[in-house]
Amino acid sequence: MISTFRKGSVLACILLAGIVSGQSSPSEGIPVTDPLVIAKCGSCHATDDHGIMQRISWERTTPEGWQDVLKRMVLVNGISVTPPEARTIVKYLSARHGLAPEEAQPVMYDVERRIHVETSIPSENLGKDCARCHTFARALSWRRSSDDWKQFMSIHTARYKVKDGAEALAFLTKAAPLHTPEWDAWSARTSRPTLTGRWLVTASILGRGKYFGEMKVDPAGDDEFNTTVHLTSVNDGSSLVRSGRSAVYGGYAWRGRSKGNEPADTARDDPSSELREVLWIAPDQSTAEGRWFWGEYQEFGFDVQLRRPSPDPMLTVVDRSSLKTGSQANRIRLIGDSLPAQVRPADLNFGPGVSVRRIVSRTGSEVIAEVDVAADAHPGKRDVALGRSVLPGALAIYDRVDYIKVAPESAMAAFGNQTHARGYQQFEAIGYQNGPDGKAHTDDDVELGPMDVTWSMEVFYAAQGANSDVVGKVSSTGFFTPVSDGPNNNFDVWVTATAKSEKDKNGKLLAGKAYLVVTVPTYTFNGRQYVRDLDRWVDDGPAPK
Amino acid sequence: MKIVWFTLLAVAGAAFGHHGFAAFDKNAEVTLQGTVTEFHFVNPHCIVEFEVKDDKGQVQKWSGELTSPVHLSPRGWNATSLEPGDKLSITGWPARNGVHSLWVTKVVSNGKELKIGGGN
Repeated sequence: MISTFRKGSVLACILLAGIVSGQSSPSEGIPVTDPLVIAKCGSCHATDDHGIMQRISWERTTPEGWQDVLKRMVLVNGISVTPPEARTIVKYLSARHGLAPEEAQPVMYDVERRIHVETSIPSENLGKDCARCHTFARALSWRRSSDDWKQFMSIHTARYKVKDGAEALAFLTKAAPLHTPEWDAWSARTSRPTLTGRWLVTASILGRGKYFGEMKVDPAGDDEFNTTVHLTSVNDGSSLVRSGRSAVYGGYAWRGRSKGNEPADTARDDPSSELREVLWIAPDQSTAEGRWFWGEYQEFGFDVQLRRPSPDPMLTVVDRSSLKTGSQANRIRLIGDSLPAQVRPADLNFGPGVSVRRIVSRTGSEVIAEVDVAADAHPGKRDVALGRSVLPGALAIYDRVDYIKVAPESAMAAFGNQTHARGYQQFEAIGYQNGPDGKAHTDDDVELGPMDVTWSMEVFYAAQGANSDVVGKVSSTGFFTPVSDGPNNNFDVWVTATAKSEKDKNGKLLAGKAYLVVTVPTYTFNGRQYVRDLDRWVDDGPAPK
Repeated sequence: MKIVWFTLLAVAGAAFGHHGFAAFDKNAEVTLQGTVTEFHFVNPHCIVEFEVKDDKGQVQKWSGELTSPVHLSPRGWNATSLEPGDKLSITGWPARNGVHSLWVTKVVSNGKELKIGGGN
């Protein structure tokens, strides 16, 4: 239960809300019509006769953005809301003052809690003004009127000592206005999501490989859904069943929580663990994609794609990522839905240079074929097709491995103990062949899939020469476990993957490196649980019924 | 606190360094001539690995630490700005503990200076 406190700070809220005179034309604001929002916010944010509410009518953002605002209003400005009220407010604001799907998609990595290198920040000043404290995506998760951006920047300058926000203000006013063609179109067409039924699921976990299966979605009222997911590992055939509950905000933003029907084991990376689901549902509601993640630092996760099945045959995943030129009788497993009763070699197409020798077996959900790759096949990605069902770029043809990249290339882990949770990190070694430009690390390079490697660690720089045992261990599968929390506070470490067989032109085994920072855990204060409760309106999905 | 952690990652992933310059001797700037062996355009710091021949012709392995990709990207840097085999003249502050590492203050690759800018 959220309690009221810091009533005195309501005055500050009033003052902040009160400086909105001079807003853009009221006709451009988004009216606030929800009685609960008016009741809870209206004492500070005045509303005019047209339902235009100070600040709120001039802003749009994600469910997480509104959750943060409400959390701040509780903690700083002393409003009192119950968890059900909070969920209702966040749901309303996310729908009526949200982002269009096209606006949300470029910044989904933020709410999906991905490690993401933001190299597209337009200028160094914008990096300093915004990304010094948070992701740049967080700024671009908002849309505001020009006046509201000015107020936002004024408050940011005062609170966070932004030295010169003029460039950021000019950029955000232009790049993230309140009204956009995308929002106008989406707010006119958005409707209740009709997601009930069966969905095909493909997923992958770093270090564990691909999964396939299906999700059953049942309505639970008010844009909320109960789910059951069956997943099977492509690598080892192991299966897991997950049950969950999710809410959809604004017609497309899936936020939920699920857990395995079998208890998770003690391994922190067990994919049966309870996890958070964040999905972006395509505007036509035929597909969805996102991340299902868990761990104290959200370091574990499925990359997930959902597709609605159709009566027609549909391929979903191929078990092989790449085949080498000149290789013969390669067994390749095509997994899908409603696959035809008869499959001939001619029904399969792997692109130029790859011929189907025979069909080994088939069922309604998979076809196993034997294929040959011509010695002179041109290296590159191939679409895989069964009839009219096509998996774009699902298979790579290569004649050599030019380099290994470790994913993620940079990461963070945390020392920990029984009091402070450790942060782990799974690594995976991916092979690449240079593309037509002959250069490594360029956009035309061909990804070949996971490589068979050995893992090692090396402490570097200021602590160079230090024994990596004081930092942690990386397992034979690329899983890093930090040591217990202690006097150590920060180490920079190379995590190196060395190929077991692939060599460079000088005969040296290929190797790739990841830059891992192992640092202190998140130290929290006594109010931790209380503050965490404030994150649960969106983070935990809808309340159980 | 989950968001705080992610923010930490984002900071590492976006902008400013996770450590200061105390490990490097700012008063002992050196310039080395070498050949690039690897370049890592990663957070929190880009790293160039290179080989230098000492007075006796022996090859020494060095590494140079630069600022983050978010600082370098606006100046035109990317993952292929330095490639294996590139001839390098690299200036920087050497590590105080004597290891073959330095904080890079100037890079000239194949005769062309690549601007770095500030920030750690």
